[in-house]
Amino acid sequence: MEYQVKIDAFEGPLDLLLHLIKKLEIDIYDIPVAVITEQYLDFIHQMQTLELDVASEYLVMAATLIEMKSRMLLPKPELLFDEEMMEEDYEDDPREALIRRLVEYRQYKEAAEVLKEKEEDQAFLFSKRAHDLSQFEVEKKSEAPLAPTTVYDMLSALQHLLRKKHINRPLRTKIERQTLPVGERMRSILSHLRIMKSPQPFASLFPYPDRTHIVVTFLALLELMKLKQIHCEQEENFEDITISLNEGGEALEFDEETFRD
Amino acid sequence: MNSTKRLSVIEALLFVTGEEGLSMEQLVHILDEPEAQIQEGLSQLSQTLEQESRGLELTIVANRYKLVTKRDVSEYIKRLIENPRPVSLSQAALETLAIIAYKQPISRAEIEDVRGVKSEKAIQTLISKELVKEVGRAEGTGRAILYGVTERFLTHFGLKSLDELPVIKTDLKDVEEETNLFYENIQQTLFE
Repeated sequence: MEYQVKIDAFEGPLDLLLHLIKKLEIDIYDIPVAVITEQYLDFIHQMQTLELDVASEYLVMAATLIEMKSRMLLPKPELLFDEEMMEEDYEDDPREALIRRLVEYRQYKEAAEVLKEKEEDQAFLFSKRAHDLSQFEVEKKSEAPLAPTTVYDMLSALQHLLRKKHINRPLRTKIERQTLPVGERMRSILSHLRIMKSPQPFASLFPYPDRTHIVVTFLALLELMKLKQIHCEQEENFEDITISLNEGGEALEFDEETFRD
Repeated sequence: MNSTKRLSVIEALLFVTGEEGLSMEQLVHILDEPEAQIQEGLSQLSQTLEQESRGLELTIVANRYKLVTKRDVSEYIKRLIENPRPVSLSQAALETLAIIAYKQPISRAEIEDVRGVKSEKAIQTLISKELVKEVGRAEGTGRAILYGVTERFLTHFGLKSLDELPVIKTDLKDVEEETNLFYENIQQTLFE
């Protein structure tokens, strides 16, 4: 075996074919089908002897190559122009479709390389987080009625929050692990909102930079929305979401058991 | 305002706005000066920072001016990081991202056609890193989700705009022309 490559080293059958084309110094526009098919199947067999899982895409490509090889051996069919056969649908070289795919894929692979270089270039150039100047602003009076938020708005708020917490994490923290049932978190959110006389900013409900706590809180919020105990609002796109108690949401009746973790 | 004062104001503004930076429009609005003046202030600031004794430089990313640390000090910044992790996206994610950047708006099926492999995981990774977002739905049956790149994509790769991406023949017509060339060659050899 002249080369022992893991199948993981390739991004799929097209990538593998490009590798073979490069290795055998083949002109991509004039692929010797017999040679490439043999090499390709060789590779697949090696994978199987190494008892590696060969993804189905590789097998589909193997079948395509074999079919192509046999079609290349057949004499050319007579071209019959009838209404069902448009000339442009007719490929007179069985390799054409594959060549196109390979050429196109190769371009994006090259573009990915460029991106990778640019990414490495950027990796350790830092700028600092923008100062939060909101404390110097006059509270905005909300004039327009607030638009109801969707779960997607909530998710994006959560994403921002996670990133922020991650960046602002102290260098060394020690967090005691403890399980927090969603039901319990739901109760504490409601009482927090009652004490604070609502509405509260989304971020204020996530006081701990702890993944479990954040996830449980998020689930609790979704449950409370479903139970129509609270509603979330967002004044403008990308502004912080605010959480408010619903009128008449005083007495909460839900089965704690349902929300056991 | 004189040019020295302008320089200090711009520097201070860019310090405060940090990674978010400021657009030309914002600078014009805040300094209340014409764009040409601001432009001059920015290039003066850039030159001042270029001196070797300074650790920051002025960059423009996604049409926003901001201050970032210079490349040649990154070695020392890395020492602040206790356990540095590899920064790069996976090969699968990079390829998927390249296809989306050039062919947006594009559906998952179209991406998979180009790559010849399933790409769901790569797309999810890119969405969670906010480099890619849903930009709409395709017409017709299934209403497939269409993806495009975000502004964060530009920031991540330090691109001023999408135009900075290397030019590639994304148009299959070009590929077709190349394929046609190959046929002409074939025919020539046949009829010689």
